[in-house]
Amino acid sequence: MDPQLVLYLASVCGAIALWLLMPRGRALPWWRGGLAAMIGVGALGAGWLSAGVRWWGEVDLAGGLAGGGGDAGLSVLAVAYYYVFSGVAILSAVRVITHTKPVYSALWFVMVVVATSGLLVSLAAEFMAFAMLIIYGGAILVTYMFVIMLASQSSPEDVIEEQPEYDRASTEPVWAVVAGFVLLAALLSVGFDAPTGNPDAVGMSDAEIIETRLAERLVVTEEDEARQALSSTPAVDATALSNSERLGLDLFEGHPLAIELAGVILLVALIGAVVIAKTKVPEEIARNAAATPGAGGATVRPTGEAGPDSPEVLGSTRS
Amino acid sequence: MDQMISSLTFSHYFLTGAVLFVLGMIGFITRRNMIVMFLCTEMMFQGVVVTLAAAAAMHGNVTGQTFIIFVLTIAAAEAALALGLVILLFRRRQTLDAGAWSELRG
Repeated sequence: MDPQLVLYLASVCGAIALWLLMPRGRALPWWRGGLAAMIGVGALGAGWLSAGVRWWGEVDLAGGLAGGGGDAGLSVLAVAYYYVFSGVAILSAVRVITHTKPVYSALWFVMVVVATSGLLVSLAAEFMAFAMLIIYGGAILVTYMFVIMLASQSSPEDVIEEQPEYDRASTEPVWAVVAGFVLLAALLSVGFDAPTGNPDAVGMSDAEIIETRLAERLVVTEEDEARQALSSTPAVDATALSNSERLGLDLFEGHPLAIELAGVILLVALIGAVVIAKTKVPEEIARNAAATPGAGGATVRPTGEAGPDSPEVLGSTRS
Repeated sequence: MDQMISSLTFSHYFLTGAVLFVLGMIGFITRRNMIVMFLCTEMMFQGVVVTLAAAAAMHGNVTGQTFIIFVLTIAAAEAALALGLVILLFRRRQTLDAGAWSELRG
């Protein structure tokens, strides 16, 4: 079968599987999850296989790759890691958008971040992999968890009908899934010709970069020699650059203005966040005014007219 | 042979990036909890990051990886602002439902 057609069929199957998994305001029957998992995994496998067949054939026809682009640094082992991390990332992503509890969505998103970092490591981008783990998993996700805990009403353990309606029902699942997977099919059919190394991208080799821009690396001082004599580890190869060294060179030599702009954006976001946090909310002022005369007004914050749920007690445990 | 496998997987990395991006988009449309909606935008960033890293490896330079740093910068700024806004909206209506603000139609 035409690999392109298989890609389209895989998109359709993936769309059906995702549609089956969408939350609908009540507990899903057991067969639904199983069916969706089978269809989804099948679609993923078919997509991978047909993509492989398609691109493998074209690369084969071309008689190997026109060199260039330097050494990508991918090994055969990276292929195996790719399948593991990519599968984990995609399945976790599905759980993020189908889970009815926001806390669990955030935890599944941590899995997506970890798997993405694994993908980056297999692409020989170690620095960015660890930066992603630290910034996303360490900083952004913790902020999300804080906000979820601050803003969610507590809901009973595992009774889906007791959760807030906006968590357990999704809007327009059919059209969203259709739109998304049409976009995916379009991306898969248009975007990817068999990629070969970019012949224009033959940059300077590590040795050239070190000679022209990091000349001091090659100078061996007496101190270095003394340290080397004392240490048992072999000397660092002075003619090879690590990933973070290359990244630093490219960042600070190629994009100095962009770094400044990024700093400005962060500063603006910081000021904006402070302004938003300090904004006075008329409804809250009215609520507080209504609450103060009553007994126990300091701890109980009644909900406003728009709040559909029972009043929550500040300081109580929330899930 | 090694090169063939590596060029093959670059396309696969693009596929993973596209799938992550599309899943994030679907989640942004279907979910009604504002926090989860912004979580889904972060997932779209993840797809972009995978694509950028794969493109960097394909071209044999690190410009794509450099760009990930700026994507991370924007993601951090976006998370700070979006979560501040979510908290503000929650203080007004005591609900995280995006549908509570459905009168805000253009």
